[in-house]
Amino acid sequence: MKITDVLTRVEGHAAVELVVKDGKVRDVKIRFTEGKRLFELVVKGKFYQEIPVIVSRICGICYVSHRLASIFAVEDAFGVEVPEEITLLRSLLVAGEFLESHATALYLFSLPDLFGYRSAVEMAKDYPEHVKRALRIREVGNHIMKTIGGKTIHGENTTVGGFYSLPERDAFKKIAHMLEEIMLDVRETVTLFRSLEYPDFSSCHDLELRLDAEGFWQFSDHLSLSDGRRFHKSHYEEFVVEEEVSYSTAKVSRIDGKPFLVGPLARVRGVSSSNPFNDDLARALELLYAAERGLAIAERFAFELPPVSKVEVRPKKGKGFGVKEAPRGVLYHSYTFDEDGRCVNANIITPTSQLQAVIGENLRLLARREPNLAYVEFRKRAESLVRAYDP
Amino acid sequence: MHIGIVGLTGCSGCQCQFLNIYGGLSKLLERAKIDYFPLLQDDNVFEEFDVIFVEGSVTCGEDKEKLKLAREKARVLVALGSCACYGGIQASIEETACGHFCLPVSEVVEVDCKLPGCPVGVERLLESMAFLVNGVKPFEYPMTVCHECRINENDCIILKGGICQGPITLSGCGAPCPQMGVGCVGCRGDSDFPNYEAFVSLCESKGIPKERVEKLLFLFRRRR
Ligand code: SF4
Ligand code: SF4
Repeated sequence: MKITDVLTRVEGHAAVELVVKDGKVRDVKIRFTEGKRLFELVVKGKFYQEIPVIVSRICGICYVSHRLASIFAVEDAFGVEVPEEITLLRSLLVAGEFLESHATALYLFSLPDLFGYRSAVEMAKDYPEHVKRALRIREVGNHIMKTIGGKTIHGENTTVGGFYSLPERDAFKKIAHMLEEIMLDVRETVTLFRSLEYPDFSSCHDLELRLDAEGFWQFSDHLSLSDGRRFHKSHYEEFVVEEEVSYSTAKVSRIDGKPFLVGPLARVRGVSSSNPFNDDLARALELLYAAERGLAIAERFAFELPPVSKVEVRPKKGKGFGVKEAPRGVLYHSYTFDEDGRCVNANIITPTSQLQAVIGENLRLLARREPNLAYVEFRKRAESLVRAYDP
Repeated sequence: MHIGIVGLTGCSGCQCQFLNIYGGLSKLLERAKIDYFPLLQDDNVFEEFDVIFVEGSVTCGEDKEKLKLAREKARVLVALGSCACYGGIQASIEETACGHFCLPVSEVVEVDCKLPGCPVGVERLLESMAFLVNGVKPFEYPMTVCHECRINENDCIILKGGICQGPITLSGCGAPCPQMGVGCVGCRGDSDFPNYEAFVSLCESKGIPKERVEKLLFLFRRRR
């Protein structure tokens, strides 16, 4: 018998398919059921200025990352260099995105699981302070994205070459002040997620991929693998090989034919990455980094604004690549343009597609390791395993 | 009042706006119960609803099924966001892949109310919810984004030589983009009587190539 369960409290539309015999689970598959949006075809024929506008809509939670990855790719193709201040302002925007996204994943999606509630709304009855804390952190993240990006979601101010306009110094002062106010909330989040007991599970992966940078707030043209290999973004598709599968609308990608890990656990050092349930702890630590980095940048711009908001961009024929750490892991965009800046080809590899193999393999491991688990119990475990990756 | 929030093919941005209404949401929850919202909760029931909000466009059979079921169960069906209202940015595809379709919700079932925007604005959402719990159908003010720029005293992007769809785009967002010096990309769709030809020639007279203007025009408005 085949049972398909649609997962709740995940941002994409995901389902686990279970093959059940005599009430026991024999096989599992994860699949993404959402209809195809074909972004690589949507951008085709469009001009470079519209690419960030379009790819922003890939994800309403990590839109800043998609926007920036595409902007990096366009700037790479046209040979545009932006001053350090614009890069810093982009980092502040990213800090806002991570505050919002991680606070949502931790408190609204994960914590109800760990505390045994069906939703954050229900959890709020017994743990009002936790939910309020989450909302305060999210609000600051949203405020940063609105102030710099132009809107809370899909703000259009971030573009190729920089920003259409800059907020005033006072706006940065306000951001700095707001970040100071949630610093305690963020620290308490780390304490909380350190104190929790996580289920024990040893993941199937032995390879991890991340941007070759100090942390998610930094941008880089290089990637690094946990086995010591390092490569330039232009070689991404040689390492990460994508494959279409019949059972899911998201592609499955592998390195050396094997599943690999991306995301907070692959990025944060000092947290054991062999247990996927530690992802939450890594996420909590990144929340702290986001607040600290964000505060340093906001304080700098409260003192002195960047000298320019945007540099000149001239289209030229060629191909460009952009990589970026999104909240869920490395993101890759590449575009080819004609001499007028029309996009003739595009390729986008998302964290979801990269995580699909490792999640699928781990679900199968779970079924093999616990052959006697009853269906209902298995389903619960499978769900929290998937949610740990926040796919 | 029983509420359901259903996601078809979209980016979840419009659903996330429910999480972004903060205090407003807990006030609303005193009068309304969210029975179905898989993005946020487990054990969702799909029985009888006063209002169902549908996010996203229809791009596969599963979307169609889900939508038809939603229509059966809902007294009022609201198309939430521009994907649901117009097909969204994914409908601006120029090269049609074989068998691919991307439909607004209203081309599959009857829609009682449309709340466009990419994403739908938090203020508009809250206001509409307040209307709905009191049994009043929310409505759009059929003016242009330009109108809101005048109210906010924004500098006009077009007068500065930029490209802005304000003159043909439905108001209601508060013109956040022009406020930041960014031309409106038309995410809320058409205002009443949009004059495309005049808009294209206005942009052309400012030296912006016709091809670019036309491509911009159909980012969020579905080509007929
Ligand atoms: S209308 Fe925009 S924000 Fe809403 S689901 Fe569609 S793409 Fe996302
Ligand atoms: S100004 Fe235009 S693009 Fe910006 S939110 Fe309003 S309708 Fe959308």
